[in-house]
Amino acid sequence: MSRFLNFQTLILTGCILLVFYLAILPLFMLLYGSVRSAPPGDTGAFFTFKNYFEAYFDLDFYRLTLNSILFSLGSCFLTLLIGSYLAWVSERTNTPFKKMFVILALIPFIIPGILNTISWILLLNPRTGMVNVLLQELLNIRTGPFNIYSLSGMIWVESIHHYPLAFLLMSAAFRNMDTSMEEASLVAGAGNLKTFRHVTLPLVRPALFSVALLIFIQAIEAFEVPALLGIPAKISVFTSKIFLAVHQFPPNYGLASSYAVTLLVISMTGVFLYTRIARRGENYATVTGKNYRPRVIDLGRWKYVTATSAILIFFIAAVVPALVMLWTSFAPYYGIAFDQYFEKMTLDNYISVLKYPLVGIAFRNSFYLSLGAATLVMLLSSVIAWITIKSRIRGRQYLDYLAFSPIAIPGIVLGISLLWVYLTLPIPVYGTIWILLLAYLTKFMPYGMRASSSSMIQIHKELEEAAYASGGTWFQTFRKIILPLLVPGFVAGWIYVSIVSLRELSTSILLYSHDSMVLSVLTFDFFDAGRHTYAAALGVLMMLLLLTMAFAARLLGARIGIVNK
Amino acid sequence: MNDDNDDIVQIRSLEKYFGEGKNRVSVLDDVSLDIRKGSLFTFLGPSGCGKTTTLRCVAGLEKPEKGTIKIGGDVVFSSQDRINVPTNRRPIGMVFQSYAVWPHMTVFENVAFPLMVRHRPWQEIKKKVTEVLEIVGLQGLEERPAPKLSGGQQQRVAFARALVNEPRVMLLDEPLSNLDAKLRELMRFEIKALQRRLNITTIFVTHDQSEALAISDRIAVMSAGKIVEVGAPESLYSKPKTRFTATFLGQTNMSEGRVLASLTQTAQPTRIETKSGTLSFTPTTALKSNQKASISIRPEHIQIMAEKPDEPENVLEGTVKEVVFMGDSYHCQVAVGDWILLVKTQVFTGRGLGERVFLHLNPHFCTCFPADEKEFIE
Repeated sequence: MSRFLNFQTLILTGCILLVFYLAILPLFMLLYGSVRSAPPGDTGAFFTFKNYFEAYFDLDFYRLTLNSILFSLGSCFLTLLIGSYLAWVSERTNTPFKKMFVILALIPFIIPGILNTISWILLLNPRTGMVNVLLQELLNIRTGPFNIYSLSGMIWVESIHHYPLAFLLMSAAFRNMDTSMEEASLVAGAGNLKTFRHVTLPLVRPALFSVALLIFIQAIEAFEVPALLGIPAKISVFTSKIFLAVHQFPPNYGLASSYAVTLLVISMTGVFLYTRIARRGENYATVTGKNYRPRVIDLGRWKYVTATSAILIFFIAAVVPALVMLWTSFAPYYGIAFDQYFEKMTLDNYISVLKYPLVGIAFRNSFYLSLGAATLVMLLSSVIAWITIKSRIRGRQYLDYLAFSPIAIPGIVLGISLLWVYLTLPIPVYGTIWILLLAYLTKFMPYGMRASSSSMIQIHKELEEAAYASGGTWFQTFRKIILPLLVPGFVAGWIYVSIVSLRELSTSILLYSHDSMVLSVLTFDFFDAGRHTYAAALGVLMMLLLLTMAFAARLLGARIGIVNK
Repeated sequence: MNDDNDDIVQIRSLEKYFGEGKNRVSVLDDVSLDIRKGSLFTFLGPSGCGKTTTLRCVAGLEKPEKGTIKIGGDVVFSSQDRINVPTNRRPIGMVFQSYAVWPHMTVFENVAFPLMVRHRPWQEIKKKVTEVLEIVGLQGLEERPAPKLSGGQQQRVAFARALVNEPRVMLLDEPLSNLDAKLRELMRFEIKALQRRLNITTIFVTHDQSEALAISDRIAVMSAGKIVEVGAPESLYSKPKTRFTATFLGQTNMSEGRVLASLTQTAQPTRIETKSGTLSFTPTTALKSNQKASISIRPEHIQIMAEKPDEPENVLEGTVKEVVFMGDSYHCQVAVGDWILLVKTQVFTGRGLGERVFLHLNPHFCTCFPADEKEFIE
């Protein structure tokens, strides 16, 4: 009697519908919005292609496209260069300290993009940047030599923040490569350089290309750098243009939506190509067979050069931004001369910031959102991963694609899509913290899926079947067998999602209100309003929170891990 | 379906396919079986023969396309009536090939699970788990975490977990294949003794014929998704009805020939004309006169002698090609014309290579089956 309406069916259908709701509805509403004549909620609105005409028949659009491509290509090139160099040094040479590189490379991950961007502005602002001021005094020149408000400045800030991804992925590519192929080339009489050009490079080319594509997508979706550097420098890209179209008065939602659709198409094409190439790349790596100990090149005295350069890069990427934030947060005012700094150091910024009522709200919201999003994303993705990996429900592979699809939605596009959804549908979440929770659920579902799927695959199916054969229902089995066995992957995914939720800016900035203020947006607002020292103090507090969370989660994860062993 | 009371598991015309459309492969083809209450029934066959699939259909872990399965008189699957009772509501206990002992639980928690999920009172759980752990010899290990158990102990946990809820049928999916050779032999006896003591109906799946012969009350020999033959171990071994059973259950000597007409119209033919002469056999399956057929006899059923024995029939003369001492017996290869026979004998009178010997192929142990039986041989 209860064959069709049992708990299992209810949960499974519920989760499938939720994935549809989270991943598909926003895009549908974005398309709808891009052909509407007036903002959401306006009763006099009608269907029109005006927005697209307005967007595409404007010279600005082409300048914008060109800027976006130049910025993305530039970042892509520089990121890959740094990342691949470090990967090669750490995997293939006898450089000292290379075992620390992976840990060092993970540190910038704790620093939110907004803080990274702010600290580089504080360093390289043409007039007031600390480096420029210092060089002006030292070299006795009139103008600072560096200008962060330029395309090359934007590329630099973007690349120095994102190189760890390229480093980790390229390291894996170098590691998976069968070095006997290189050895065969050496035996055949080719030198190190020839071997690199004719054997190593062609072998890592698929990996190189797929990583390049991934970085390109990330750069074209980037928001912090285009907003804080591009807008003052009048170098507009898609993301900053969408932001401005919504934030101008009156906001032009239609135009923003037609830009968003264009950006979405670009990023979806990129992700589609990436998944195809990555799949082929994997085949490429696996056919090489057995894992040999990688051949290490003896660099001789050059190994000190590579070690120094590597550590310098880590220092610039992780330590410098943190120090700049710390320095500025204790300054009585922005632009204070170096020789007066230690005399006038003050805690005023912290005191003022903490007294600010919005800061309390932002801390509370960010904290709840981060925990809530991480927990819900991991629970949802565990169920979805069970469906796509363990069940035989028809069409399950499409559900996998669907749950993974938000990876192709740029943050700012998701923001504007959700505006359309909740300003049109009678669901009263607009202006509350709930719309942010829904946004984070959509945005981070793919990360949750990745963590859940990879640990779900490792659970032997007989462990689950034994529970059914013992008389367990589906829900009992899921709760008492599957979830506990998923714990290591669950915790890892949970940590990741809670950290990225706390850093999230590009989606939140379109969806927040006074009551649903979050830390990243508040930092942005402080900086935008010229209160650099407040932004720095808040940034330091935010980094402390992130560090504590990462540390606590690690301890917790380690403890659960031991129990599980 | 006449023995409804005694057959606790009834399987009728089970069919199952994997894949769809052009890739569709039949894995079970008209499988029907009756399993008696309290017996140990074995599905035996090479890998891919459908034995595990049949077991999983009984468990409800696979869904057949067609057929009926009854456990204890209750229909648990029927394609016609669209009945498919989910695994957790079937009265079964199951031991998996990998044991599937949950690594995040202790021994007690593992064994208590079937009772916990049925919300039994704590007192009962405690009592039953203690009892069943004693039965499998794990008393005192209740609080040990599962990953800290040896392979043999894990298997005992899996047994205890399958037994604790007093299932009507125990399903064992190659439970011994992950143990080392010595432990495997020991566990054979234990499983048999346990099954006899508790008088619990057990279905056992294995690809190991000696394991099947040692442990079973009845064996279903399977090949390519079909039941080839069902019978008691002794009769399957010494009087196989098919070539497949004869070869799969152990070594055998075979020779092809033509069946000779029986002396009377009504009687079964009992003699076959081979290259080595006319041989008598005990019929196990229907044969027509003049049909092409193979005669088969097990190596240990052949007597080897130095002098021509005083037997009326089935005496062959040959030369010793090879003798190997195996400890408990000798294995000899004897050439009779171009037919090389393997003979296992306990006493060998020390005749050297190339010597002339006589073989007596006792007609009682000779069987014969049609030569064109190819469908079971993959």
